[in-house]
Parts: sequence; structure tokens; C-alpha cells
Amino acid sequence: LDKIVLVEYFRAQMRKDPDMASAVAAIRTLLEFLKRDKGETILGLRESLKWATDCLTGEDSSVAVSSGGELFLRFISLTSLEHQDLSRCKKVMEERGELFLEKISMSRTKVAKLCHTFIKDGAKILTHSYSRVVLRVLEKAAAEKKRFSVYVTESQPDSAGRQMAEALRKLNVPVTVVLDAAVGYVLEKVDLVIVGAEGVVESGGIINKIGTYQMAVCSKAHNKPFYVVAESFKFVRLYPLNQQDVPDKFKYKADTLKTVQNLSEEHPMIDYTPPSLITLLFTDLGVLTPSAVSDELIKLYL
Amino acid sequence: MPGPDKETDLTERIEAFLFDLNRGGSGAGPLRGSAETARETTALLRRITAQARWSSAGDLMEIIRNEGRRMTAAQPSETTVGNMIRRVLKIIREEYARSRGSSEEADQQESLHKLLTSGGVSDENFRQPFAALKPNVIEAINELLTELEGTTDNIAMQALEHIHSNEVIMTIGRSRTVEAFLKDAARKRKFHVIVAECAPFCQGHEMATSLSKAGIETTVITDAAIFAVMSRVNKVIIGTQTVLANGGLRAVNGTHTLALAAKHHSTPLIVCAPMFKLSPQVRRLSFLSDFYRYCEILSKVNVHCPVFDYVPPELITLFISNIGGHAPSYIYRLMSELYHPEDHEL
Repeated sequence: LDKIVLVEYFRAQMRKDPDMASAVAAIRTLLEFLKRDKGETILGLRESLKWATDCLTGEDSSVAVSSGGELFLRFISLTSLEHQDLSRCKKVMEERGELFLEKISMSRTKVAKLCHTFIKDGAKILTHSYSRVVLRVLEKAAAEKKRFSVYVTESQPDSAGRQMAEALRKLNVPVTVVLDAAVGYVLEKVDLVIVGAEGVVESGGIINKIGTYQMAVCSKAHNKPFYVVAESFKFVRLYPLNQQDVPDKFKYKADTLKTVQNLSEEHPMIDYTPPSLITLLFTDLGVLTPSAVSDELIKLYL
Repeated sequence: MPGPDKETDLTERIEAFLFDLNRGGSGAGPLRGSAETARETTALLRRITAQARWSSAGDLMEIIRNEGRRMTAAQPSETTVGNMIRRVLKIIREEYARSRGSSEEADQQESLHKLLTSGGVSDENFRQPFAALKPNVIEAINELLTELEGTTDNIAMQALEHIHSNEVIMTIGRSRTVEAFLKDAARKRKFHVIVAECAPFCQGHEMATSLSKAGIETTVITDAAIFAVMSRVNKVIIGTQTVLANGGLRAVNGTHTLALAAKHHSTPLIVCAPMFKLSPQVRRLSFLSDFYRYCEILSKVNVHCPVFDYVPPELITLFISNIGGHAPSYIYRLMSELYHPEDHEL
């Protein structure tokens, strides 16, 4: 399976279902790659999967794709430990892979079920940019006949916030788009802040669209709860201590990384929010405090 | 015949317990401490296991869940009832898994690992009957009862590590756990205690009388004086009604004020709470002020008298429980060891 076909398959997956998380599309692509792989050894399989993951991150440099790829690789390692024979192993992997995909497609529903009870009647919610998980949570709350209103930041440079506002208007939720710079201004009116995450790091902090850190610091200053909603496949084995520690390959879009020489002139697309600013994380594994996240990661990678 | 007699006896006891729970809330019946409620609930659950008709673990869990729902509905603010029910449900799951011979440690929680490696939908419907299940479950519940009996002593045993001579300790209201804690330390050390009276029921007065009978120098202050006196206090030691899943507290009203004053003066806040007070609930914004006691009200005046406060985990320094001391950020871990996630909603 060569690079162009792989990338095309990934793009087709993303196009087919715009609601699907990019990590899920990546895992689906890798599963397809696994099915078509003609390798003879498990080590060879791992090598080619690593190569495939690199191709995908070259196409879409977000943290989610990288975490999805690492998770799949871990999945392969764990399964290959149980069965020595390659063909038997591959069959098991394919079955389990399908099952895994089924389970993670349910994650957003589980998260929405956990989170919507925290939105009480008459609440004013602030959110950042466009997040499909947050959208699902607000959909569920609206379906439960809760009355609430939403403030969304415009989220430059791609104005993703406007897309979020459109989607919310379709649900008949009163929504206001605010400037990114107006977060501090709006926070005194707001009851709670809910954001999604592109990646959840080992310390319990999150990596998300640029502007999230600012929002977190302001909500801490105003004593408003800051909730994060994320599916468990976004947990990634990174431990940044500050903004500089986040690798450059996540900060900028894939095309930017390939074409631009001097990255210091570019604007980063993501930032890191430390766990001390986060109140609770809602994941399909349950409601977690930031200290519980590293526990989950240890359980997986140990 | 022993069969129907046992059943009616069982239902009678359950009804009596529910009635007591209900009365305890309205203020008319005897106020019982949470340790007593926990013990009675567990004894009742043991009786249900022994006397009710069930053939498989699934049936028993259904029965207990149903009774549990009724009990928690009778007195929603008494969370120890729900906690004990969840403990017993977890015991049943463990005993069932042990009888089946599977390694149940791996099956417990949802985790990323489990997502990746499970081979299919788990057939955990608990329908297989095992003869040895009943005595095993009853034995495990007996162990739980022994643990419950020893909690106050286990906590009090740790007192000497935390209280030093000539310290000034502040507490609020009346907590049997804190009382035992302070009395145990008083055997070997000399220190002062300041008790905030905790209006309107002023349980702090009884606490002060009891402590001074044990030879501890005690001072009673009004709730309004908490902040003023805090600068002279070395440690704040309090009890609580419930410990929430995020490490926060649901404690008697006035505790949040106390915690904020302690934070302002950087005074450590120690919470003495036995493990049966740990509840899988997380704070919802609505459960405050839903508990009214009987008191005379003027006709055109609405008096709101919240009995409980929410204290966020950032204000707490240490939890002392019967199994040792823990940071608030560790509470989620203890919770996952005590309860199964499917039992969080009864």
C-alpha cells in the first residue's frame, strides 16, 4: 500500500463523515492498511505501521492523529504478545480492531451523557472555537429541555467559532459570537466554561486550539468552573511543562511545516493548558480529575 | 412455616429502617450519627442476603439495588446508606468473579487498556448460580462490619502524628470522629481547642463540653469570629458528612467559611473522614440548601436554612481516614477501589 493511496483513503474517510474525529479516521485508515499489508513478520508489520502513521501525520499534523496512531500501534503490540503466529494474529487484530472502532464511535454519546447534567437550567456557557464533542453535549442538554445560552469565541485565524455558532443556531440555542479578545469581558456573565480538546497530556492538561489557555487563566481568575470534554483515544504520552515544550510538529499545520523555513514568524495553532486550571475532565472512561488522567495512561502503557 | 415468616420479618425490618431514616430527617426522631447508619444499613443488607430468596448473583444484586433505591429515596441527604449499598454490590461482584475463577482485577474499570484488548462483549450478566456464593458474601459483609466498627479508633490512632504540644486547633460543630481524634491526642499532649459554635443548632457547645470533660482547654467562639481568630490557629481539623468524588466535601454549614479563612492564613485544613463517607457523587450545583429543619417561621418571612456547605478540594490539605492520610487529588483512586462504576447510579 503506497503513500498516495493511504493519504487518499484517509482524506476520503474524513470527507465521508465530517462528524468523525480525525483520530478515528486515522485508526480506520491504519486498520485498512493492516488488512492489505502483505508483510511476513510482526516486526515488519510494526515498521510499516509506523511508516503509515508518519504519512498520516504528514497530511494532518494535529495531536489527535498522532495519538490515534500511537494507540493503534500499542494495540498491535498488545495483541501480538498473545498470539505468536502471524496469520492468526492478524485475524484477531482485524476482529478486535473493528470492535475497537465500534466502541470508540460510542464515546461521544457517553461523554454527552455524563456532562449534560452539569448544565443547569438558565446557565450561560462559554466555549471556544468549533468542537464536535461540545456540540454533542449541548445537543443532549437541549434535548433534555434545558434552557441555556452560549457564548462562542470567534477563534481566529480560521473563524471556526462561527461554524459552531451556525450549528448551535440550528438547535435553537441562543448563541453570541464574541471576539477572542473579549473573553475576560464576557466571563463575569458566564456560569461555566466547556471546551473540547485535541489532545489530553499525561499531566492532565490539554492541548487545544490557540486561545484556550487564555480562557482557562481568565476563568480561574473569575472562579468559574472550567470543564474539558474529550474522548479517551485523545490521551497522549506527552508531558509538556510549558508552552515551549509542546513539539513544533503539533503547533503548526502540516503544509506550513513543509514549506516555511523560519517557524518563529508563524502563528501557532494550538496551546497547552496546565492541569491546575482545569476543574474536571469528562471522558468516556468517566468523570476524571486531572490527576486521574496519568493513572489511565499508565494502565494502558504499562 | 419458616419460609413466609422469615420473609415478612425481613420486610418488616426494612420498613422499620425506612421509617427511621425518614423520621431522622424531619428532626422529630432520634438523630443518629453516620457511623450508626452505616452499621445498620450493612446489617440489614446482610440480613437481606441471608433471608431473601435468590438463586444467582444477578438476582441478589437486583434485590439489593431495589431496596437501595427505596432507602436512598427515604433520606437523600444521608449518603452513607447509598455508599454501603454500593460497597455490598462490589463485594457481590468480587465474590462472583472469584467463584467463577476469573481474575477480576482486570475486569473492574473501564480503561484504555480494556478498550484495546477485550475480545468481545463481556458476558457479565451474573446469572450463574454458585452454592458457595451465599456464605462467601455473608462472610465478606461481616468483614465490612468489622471494618466499620474499627473506623473511629483507626482514625484516632493517627492523632499523635498530627497534633503537637502547645498547638491551637480549630474545629466547627460536633463530629464524633474529631472528638475521638482530639481525645486520643490529649492523652499524651497538651493543646488548646477553639470550637466554632455552628449556629443555629449550636452543636459546637456539646462538643466543647465533651472535650473539656476530657481535660482539654476549650474555647467556644461564634461563627462570625472565625476569621478574626484564625491568625492564632495552627491547624484546622474538621469532620464532614460526605466526601465527594472530586475530593470536595459536603459538610455542616459554616465549613466553607472556615476553609476560606484557613486558606487565607495558609493554615492546614485536615479532614477526618472514615472511608464509608466516600460517595461517588460529584457536586451538582443544585443539591445545596435542600434540607429544612422544623423551626418557627413568621408568616411573611421565608427563612432559608441550609444545613450543608460545599467545600472545594483546593481548600483541603489532608484527608485522614481509617486507612491512613491522603491528598484530595487521590480520592478518585480510593473511590475506584471501593465502588464499581456501574453502581454509581443505583
